Amino acid sequence: MTDLFFLPDLRAIGYSLPWHALLLLAAALSGEGVHRWLRLPRLLGWIAAGALLGPSALGVLDRTSLDAMAPLLNIAAGVVLFELGQRVDPTWLRRNPWLLGTSVLESAFGFAAMYAVLIAVNAPPLTAAVAAAIGISTAPAVTLTITRELRAQGQVTERALLLTALNSVYAFIAVGVLLSWITREHAVDWRVALLHPMYLVFGSLLAAAIYAGASLTLLRVLGRRHDAQFLCVLALVATAVWATETLRLSLVLTLLAYGVGIRIFDRQRLFVAMSFGRVGGILLIFLFAMTAARLDWALVPAGVLSGGVLIAARAAGKALGVFALAPASGLSLHKASMLTLTLMPMSGIALILVHDTTRFYPQFGPSLAAIVVSAIAMLELLGPLLARFALVRAGEAAEERQ
Amino acid sequence: MSSEPLAFTKSTPLTMGVELELQLVNSRDCDLTHAASDLLSQIAKRKHPGEIKHEITESMIELSTGVHTRHGPLLAELKQIRGVLLDEASRLNIGVAGGGAHPFQHWSDRRIMDAPRMQHLSKLYGYLAKQFTVFSQHVHIGCADGDDALYLLHALSRYIPHFIALSAASPYYQGVDTAFDSSRLNSVFAFPLSGRAPFVQTWDEFNAFFGKMRAAGIVESMKDFYWDIRPKPDFGTIEVRVCDTPLTVERAAALAAYIQVLARWLLVERPHKISEDAYLPYTFNRFQACRFGLDGEFIDPVAGTRRSLAEEVTMTLGALTVHARELDSEEALRDIETIVRGGNDARWMREQFAASASLPDLVWRQVARLRAET
Repeated sequence: MTDLFFLPDLRAIGYSLPWHALLLLAAALSGEGVHRWLRLPRLLGWIAAGALLGPSALGVLDRTSLDAMAPLLNIAAGVVLFELGQRVDPTWLRRNPWLLGTSVLESAFGFAAMYAVLIAVNAPPLTAAVAAAIGISTAPAVTLTITRELRAQGQVTERALLLTALNSVYAFIAVGVLLSWITREHAVDWRVALLHPMYLVFGSLLAAAIYAGASLTLLRVLGRRHDAQFLCVLALVATAVWATETLRLSLVLTLLAYGVGIRIFDRQRLFVAMSFGRVGGILLIFLFAMTAARLDWALVPAGVLSGGVLIAARAAGKALGVFALAPASGLSLHKASMLTLTLMPMSGIALILVHDTTRFYPQFGPSLAAIVVSAIAMLELLGPLLARFALVRAGEAAEERQ
Repeated sequence: MSSEPLAFTKSTPLTMGVELELQLVNSRDCDLTHAASDLLSQIAKRKHPGEIKHEITESMIELSTGVHTRHGPLLAELKQIRGVLLDEASRLNIGVAGGGAHPFQHWSDRRIMDAPRMQHLSKLYGYLAKQFTVFSQHVHIGCADGDDALYLLHALSRYIPHFIALSAASPYYQGVDTAFDSSRLNSVFAFPLSGRAPFVQTWDEFNAFFGKMRAAGIVESMKDFYWDIRPKPDFGTIEVRVCDTPLTVERAAALAAYIQVLARWLLVERPHKISEDAYLPYTFNRFQACRFGLDGEFIDPVAGTRRSLAEEVTMTLGALTVHARELDSEEALRDIETIVRGGNDARWMREQFAASASLPDLVWRQVARLRAET
C-alpha cells in the first residue's frame, strides 16, 4: 500500500492536533451550555472543559501539550492583571482610608485564620505560613470575569476589584518574603533573604513605571484608533510578561502596577475606553480552561476535609476584616456580607504561587499541597458561584442582555 | 381614580425652590454608573438641609432646596447640600457632575430604579424612558392662587428661550456634538404630553381641562404632563422645567433668582397682555434657543421684531433693576449678565473638549467644576 503515499499517516496525529483550538472549542461550547441551560457563569463551563480534557481526567491534553501552551497562559494572566490594575483607583484609598484598613484587615485575619487551622493539623510553622499567605489572594480573573459578565456596578463591585488587586499583591509579597526566610533557614546569606523581596517589589514597580510611560507615549503617537491602541497594548503586555520572567520579577505586581500606572499617567483620560474586547475574552477562556487542566484534581479527595476547613477559616477571617470597618468605610452590613462572598474565589494566582513554592521549596510536601490544592479546586468551582450570587443579591448586576 | 378637582394650595407669592438632577459617574472612564442607592444609604445617616433623593435611574440623583424668598440663602443652602453630597460621593469613589446630558453614555445601559412608578414609566415609554436619562433644573415660584399661577405661567412662556439659552449644558449626547446647545430638550419633546400648557386663564378653567383629560384616561395626575412650565397645585407653585442642570450650584441659584425677579416684574407691572397669539412664535423661539443658545434668534410675540437672544436677555435685565433691588438679587442678575457676555455652560464644555479631545476628560472637568475647583 506504499503507493498511496498521499494518504495521511494517522499514527502521528497526536503530535499535530491543534490542541489550542480543541481546548478553545470545548471550553466555548461548555461555557455557553452552562450559561444557557444551568444559568451559571460561563467560566464554570470553561473550567469544566479544562478539567475534563486535562491529565487528571480524560487525559486528552497531556503535560507536554499543556507545557507547550504555558506561554499563552502567562500572557493571559498578564492581560487579566493589567486590566484589573486599570480598573483600580489608588486615589480612592486616600479619600477613604478605611478601605486600606479593610484591605489590610481582611488579608491579615484571613491569613491568621488559615495559619491557625494549618498549625492545628500539625503543619510546620513556616510551611503553614506559606500556605496561608497563598490563601490571602482572591482570584483576579474570576472577579474581573464575573463583574464583566454581569455588567455589575456599585460599591460591592468596585470594592471587590480594589481589594482583589491589593490582596493579590500582599499574597505575592508575603510568599516572596516567607520563601526567602525558608531559604535562609537552609543556610543562605541573610542579606540575600532581605534583598530578594526588595528586588521583587522595587524592580517590579520600576519596570511597571517604565512600561506605563512607554505605552502612553506610543499610544499618543498611534492616536485614537481603538483597534490600533488595543493591538499595541496587547503586544506590550506580552513583552512585559516576558520581561518579568527574564528579569525574575513578579508577574502579579508588575502587571497590576503597569495597569494602575497607565491610568495615573493618562491625565487627559485619552485611553480610558480601551478594552481587550474579543481577543481578551479568548485569552480568558484559555486562562480558565488551562488553569483547570493543570490543577492536580487527584489531590482533592485526600485534602477535601481539611481543605474545606481551610476555606471556612479563610472566609471567616476575610469576613471579620470586611465587617470590622464596613460602617466606617461607608458600606451597609448587607453589602459587606456580599463583598465577603465576592472575595472568596481562588484560582490562577494561587496556583502560580503554589507552583513557585514547590519549585523553590520542594519540602512544601505533598500533604500540605493536598490541602491547599483541594481548597483551590473547591473554590475554583464554588468561588464564581458565590461571587455571582453576591453581586446579584447586592443589586449590582445589570439585567441580562441577549 | 379620584375625580375631585385639583385644589390649588395657597403659598406666599414669589417664594422659590430649586430641584437639581445630577449625574453619577465612575472615576475610571467617567461613564454614568449605578450608584444612587449606595450613595443615598450613606447620605441618609447625615444631617443636611433640603432633600437628596432617587430619580428615574440609578445613575441620577436629585437634590432639592427648601422654600426661599432670597437668592443669598438659597445659594447658601445649595452649597450646604452640595457639601454633604460630594463628601459622601468622594468616600464611595463616585463622581457627581452637572450638565443636561451625559456626553457619551449609552442609553441601553441604564437601569431603571426599582420603584413602582419608575417601572410603570419604563413599561409605558419603552426606550424613551431610558433615553430620558437627562438632567434638568426645576424652579418653583410660589403663587397666591391658581389664577395668578396661570397668569404667571402664560406670561413667563415668552421667556422660556431665555432660560433654555442661559442654562444650556448638553451639547454632547451619545458621543457626538449634537450642534445643539441644549440637546436634552429634544429628548423631552418626544413625550406625548410635552410642550406648553393650554391657554386657560383661570383655575376653574384649568380644572375643567384637567377633568376632561382625566376622564378620557389620558392622564392620571399632574405628573403626567411634561410641559415646559406646569402648575404644581399641591405646592401652590408653578414649576419652570426647561433648564439644563448647570455645571455649578452658583449658576443654578442665579437662574432661579432671575426667574423670581422676572415673576415679580410680570406680576406687579403686568407688562404683557397674555393671549393665545403670543404663543405663535413659541416653538420657533424655543428651537432657536436649544440649537443656537444665546446666539439664537428671538421673535417678539407682540411686536414681531427679531433680535438675538443675548440682546433680548440684556434688554430684559434692564427692565428688572428695581425688582432685583427689592428681592436682593442684584448679584444674581450680574451672574446672568456674565453668562450673556462670557457664554453659557455649553460653550464652556465645547471649549474644554477642544482642549483635551476626550469626552471622559470633559466629564471629569464637569465633576471638578461642580466641586468649584475650576
